[in-house]
Amino acid sequence: MNLWQAFKMALRSIRGNKGRSFLTMLGIIIGIAAVMATVSIIQGMNQKSMEMYERMGSNQIMVNANAYNGMPLFDDLYEYCLQLNDLVEGVTPQGSFNGTVTYGTKNSANMDMPPQVFLGSHQYSLCNNFQIARGRDVTKIDVDNDNNVCVLGSAAAKAFFDLSDPLGQSLAINGVPFTVVGIYMEKDPQDQPGWYSMDNMVLLPYTASRALKQDMSSFMSQLVVKAKNGPAAKEATTRIIGFLTNLLGDPNDPANTKGSFFVSNQDSWKDESAQVANMMSMVLGGIAGISLLVGGIGIMNIMLVTVTERTREIGIRRAIGAQRKSIVMQFLIEAGVICGIGGVIGVLLGTVLSVIGGQLLLKMRILPSPTITLGAVLFSVALGIIFGLYPAIKASGLQPVAALRAE
Amino acid sequence: MLIKLQNVYKIYSEGLEAEVRALDGINLEIDYGEFVAVVGPSGSGKSTLMNILGCLDVPSHGSYWIDGVDVNERSDAQLSFLRNKQIGFIFQSFNLIASMNALENVELPLIYQGIAPAKRQALAMEALGRVGLAQRSHHRPSEMSGGQQQRVAIARAIATKPPIIMADEPTGALDSKTGREVLSFLQGLNREGSTIILITHDNSIAATAKRLVRISDGRIVEDKRQEVSWA
Repeated sequence: MNLWQAFKMALRSIRGNKGRSFLTMLGIIIGIAAVMATVSIIQGMNQKSMEMYERMGSNQIMVNANAYNGMPLFDDLYEYCLQLNDLVEGVTPQGSFNGTVTYGTKNSANMDMPPQVFLGSHQYSLCNNFQIARGRDVTKIDVDNDNNVCVLGSAAAKAFFDLSDPLGQSLAINGVPFTVVGIYMEKDPQDQPGWYSMDNMVLLPYTASRALKQDMSSFMSQLVVKAKNGPAAKEATTRIIGFLTNLLGDPNDPANTKGSFFVSNQDSWKDESAQVANMMSMVLGGIAGISLLVGGIGIMNIMLVTVTERTREIGIRRAIGAQRKSIVMQFLIEAGVICGIGGVIGVLLGTVLSVIGGQLLLKMRILPSPTITLGAVLFSVALGIIFGLYPAIKASGLQPVAALRAE
Repeated sequence: MLIKLQNVYKIYSEGLEAEVRALDGINLEIDYGEFVAVVGPSGSGKSTLMNILGCLDVPSHGSYWIDGVDVNERSDAQLSFLRNKQIGFIFQSFNLIASMNALENVELPLIYQGIAPAKRQALAMEALGRVGLAQRSHHRPSEMSGGQQQRVAIARAIATKPPIIMADEPTGALDSKTGREVLSFLQGLNREGSTIILITHDNSIAATAKRLVRISDGRIVEDKRQEVSWA
């Protein structure tokens, strides 16, 4: 008997018992759909955070330092980073504060999502991956002369000016007027209600803090360094850490009384984020995998019942010339086909769940990766074969006469 | 010699107090073209004998040759092949597979021979035609009378054109008229050269066989050839 015949026989037997076959498949269907949806959604989340890091700017190094004795280390640190110019493309101080922004009747205090006010240098946009859409960026002259100018992110521009032209208009920030000189291109299309868009921002030259009568040291909390491509980020990170350790001592030493600092580059965030995603995939995927295993045991259970029910049929087949291996093959293929069909339905359901879940949870289009899909189907067929093996061998081991006697 | 049994025993729970000797030293030879009725009351061991003759069971002791080949030395695959090619079985309870229609049931032994679908179907239809059921080939066993089901079973037994037909109480579940039809069909097969081994408890049926082997308590107590006049 060839494989095709055995396959057709298995299909006939499955068709002959539609209800039970479907219930058996259900375990596999749910298991596979759960595994696929879970893993895809976690992968989608990971992809989303990777994209977010990309939008923040590539090769970013964040430097936070704080001297306990109030020693003004900002200028030295800024100076030091700037002179790393063989490794670094740009450096900007980065600070933000909850300023009240007003224009005409519009007041950020009344907004659900008030724009964030950032302070930075003329390299702020370079370091943070902003590009000028209209007008001009903050320049070195603006910084050096404490000019009261600002550049708006696309979301902030829309919030305050809607369709009218913001260029040349004057915004009041904490009561101090700033002239809008430019608008950045949208870089973070945020369709998630309640999530902050990176475009909802106003950038001022960091020296404007004087005009705002803000104590710079209180909010100039960090520097953002954009390293050159390749190994430069790592090298720059090491050097900055070295510089700060010299100045402030070991930040991990609890006895250190000079100060603390924290330097991180994007690779480490990405690694961390990927690690978290991986772990979540494993834990949640594992839980979903257990349901798949339970489905597999269901298959074994049903196959055992089927074998017992069909002992007489096995006897008849043996009497008219079926070899032991034909019987094994028949039941194995039957289990494999049930799991295979279940697997395909599970993959379809898993894809639908991934797409729906991606839309609802992440507002993005998630499609399960081909590896997971193929893996899920192969795994379910393998489950069928593994769990079908025992009943199949049991079925074939009977003496024909013993099988024929069964009722 | 087609079939030769030498000192064949089938003993259950051997060596224990409850030992049962279903076959107790059987010596039997059956030649090509014979029509043998094995007759005996229930529990006499006649079904056990058929199971061993049909390679559905193995003897506890003794030797068994079919066509000069020792059955004890054959593997499962070879025995399956032998059952498939050499022997056609007809059972008292028909033993059709309920989920398959008549044609599929008759095709089954041909499937195990690996015959291609078109030829297989032609052979199965031919066999169904011989038992007069060509029109009912797509009926399931549950849609047919007992007599029709037994005819399907006969078609299945003859589809592979085996030299030996073994029938275990083939008329046991049928009314006397259909029973007679089945018998005369077997006689027809015998006339065409098939060796028929018929197991029965019914003396009147045994009386229609060319050779009668009476079995009692696992032993052969009578073995005689008889004159028959088949219609």
